[in-house]
Amino acid sequence: MKKLMFVLVVASLLLAACGGGAKPAAETGPVEITFTMWGAPEELAVWQAVVDDFHKANPNITVKVDVSDWDSYWTKLNTLTAGGTPPDVFAMDAPLYLDWQSRGALLNVQPYIDANPGFLDGFYPQTLTAYKTPDGYYGLPRDFQTIVLFYNKDMFDAAGVAYPTEDWTYDDLLAAAKKLTLDKDNDGKIDQYGFWSDTWDMELLWSEAIWAYGGDIISADHTKTLIGEGGAREAWAFIDSLYKEGVTPTPTTAGEFGLDLFQAGMAAMTTIGHWAVPGYVQSGIKFDVAPMPKGPAGRATSINSAGFVISKQSKHPDAAFAFIKFALSEAGQKRLAELGFAIPVLKSVAESDAYLKQPGDLNQRVFLDSLAFARMKPVFKGYEEWAGVVGDGLIPVFDGEAELNATLDEVIAAADEVLAKNK
Amino acid sequence: MDYGLKPLGREKLWLWLMLAPTLIGLIFGTVGSLLATLALSLFNWDLINSPQWAGAENYIQLFQNKDYIEAFVNTLKFSALYVPSVVVISLLLAVLLNRKIYGVGFFRTVYFLPTVTSAVATALVWNMIYGKETGILNFLLESLGFAPVCWLCTDNAMLSVVIVNVWGAVGEGMIIFLAGLTAIPRDYYEAASLDGANEFQQFFKVTLPLVTPSIFFQTLISAINAFQAYDYIYMLTRRGQGDSSVPVAVYSIYRNAFHFFRMGDASAQAIQLALLVAVFMGIMFWWERRYVVYE
Repeated sequence: MKKLMFVLVVASLLLAACGGGAKPAAETGPVEITFTMWGAPEELAVWQAVVDDFHKANPNITVKVDVSDWDSYWTKLNTLTAGGTPPDVFAMDAPLYLDWQSRGALLNVQPYIDANPGFLDGFYPQTLTAYKTPDGYYGLPRDFQTIVLFYNKDMFDAAGVAYPTEDWTYDDLLAAAKKLTLDKDNDGKIDQYGFWSDTWDMELLWSEAIWAYGGDIISADHTKTLIGEGGAREAWAFIDSLYKEGVTPTPTTAGEFGLDLFQAGMAAMTTIGHWAVPGYVQSGIKFDVAPMPKGPAGRATSINSAGFVISKQSKHPDAAFAFIKFALSEAGQKRLAELGFAIPVLKSVAESDAYLKQPGDLNQRVFLDSLAFARMKPVFKGYEEWAGVVGDGLIPVFDGEAELNATLDEVIAAADEVLAKNK
Repeated sequence: MDYGLKPLGREKLWLWLMLAPTLIGLIFGTVGSLLATLALSLFNWDLINSPQWAGAENYIQLFQNKDYIEAFVNTLKFSALYVPSVVVISLLLAVLLNRKIYGVGFFRTVYFLPTVTSAVATALVWNMIYGKETGILNFLLESLGFAPVCWLCTDNAMLSVVIVNVWGAVGEGMIIFLAGLTAIPRDYYEAASLDGANEFQQFFKVTLPLVTPSIFFQTLISAINAFQAYDYIYMLTRRGQGDSSVPVAVYSIYRNAFHFFRMGDASAQAIQLALLVAVFMGIMFWWERRYVVYE
């Protein structure tokens, strides 16, 4: 009996192998793939739901999900990759994409896209740009973030200041912030700041301001840091004035509170992306959103997208792509929209109630309409090191320990060195 | 200098057998990673592709890499402030707590507590102490009429971080010195006081010479810890993009290896740091032969 079973199994395997014919790599038996990402614990539950849906539709493929916080995620990913056992599918942040892609760590998924005509048609085209390379896609966006202006309605009402409008300029923001910066108990310490945002990363404020003042971040060939040229200096002067006028706490002071000052009800305005919304809603503050202010050169915001990539070393690339395809389908994207952290890349889902009717009763369209003037957060090799030199290098200026222009010159020289090192 | 009993016959076999777990761990863990680091320092490796031979290139670059030089200088400055402070303060504590006073056990416990507490947790507490707006230290300064100080801003960060590290280390040093102090026979002090030596004279003429083995040991341990200092520094001075206002050598090693895809550079930095520790140990052992008094 055992012998018979054995013969049958061998025979069926042989048949299956022959049946594959044109597709030699076709998967037959059950396959297990691993998928890792960064995120909050509540994101694990949603991803588990996506994975379960996927498993129902593809009983042969089991996906093991692993979620870590941002810092541990990258250390873990590096270690697994160095050890030769990277996850099959993993999450990628667009700015770091080229660091991985150019080193040959990622699988070119263009053949799969070609085999699925029309697959990318429903995507917002702006979200795809970051992942496109001359020889096709090595990853696909899973969601995107545009940065908008958040304001605390109660604080505006109490101070008698009109809510931000589409016509706001950066000067209007500063003027309103001054009126909203209050020392309520007159003890010489500010209890409510007019504005707060992180300035160590370009995404939340300074890239938008530089673009709106007519400057740019980095040259198209990624060899020159442009944040000191043209209108960029004026943008920096504006950001510096927020600190000098005292309408925003210095980075070191803000760090002491150890939390989001807008969420804590200590700041009347902030500029941030959709990922902050669930936390803000939960904390019970009354708030809404408006587009980023205009500068002398017009209006700009930053768009960034997190995505999926497949490891080049994956033994089950077909199963890995099948999973990505599912997560990027309407069903998968709806789940993501319900999570509320990001905006779906599929236009049909973003324009549906799944995204537009979320808790908090926000003007969700502002995030979508911002695409009209959004510019891609730069993607280049050596991004993390460059961002450290620039973002962290300017902290002493905003802490009031260093002069803006001289520090900017130093930082730009150091940043160009990083670019040369990472050519 | 032979101490204790010599193993005989079959005892030797048991000796090796019992030592085996530790030895295997040492050989594969410590020596293995040391050799691997040494090898990696001669290659360029991005963790993804196979390593490329680089020869001495990574070592030559150490002297051109401004960020690493800054980190290395910071490590030297940190050590210069940290090592003497730890040795002197823990010796003083040990002397003060090596007498029959009420509640001595309580004090010893309090000073030792930081050693057994998680550095990450205590660093959070120190953040509350050092805060510019909300910190306890500035609250005290202001109530005494002084201007508030930004303790963790770039200018003061080094000093603030040294204070926390010293605070975290004196407990352990105190234990080492207490052990050294209790080993000094009481009759030496009786003889000294009969000869009319006061407490200060007793300390400098009796205690200090006889406690030199502990001073030697504590200086060595403190120096090694100083070169490897990382946890408090990371927790107190890390900036948004992962840089620090007091980047030290270990900080640079970590970022190059796990964030900038430069395992070779990181390994060369680690080897250089290890060499520095070795040189320092050499100097210490020379000092030991000249000055350390063994009974």
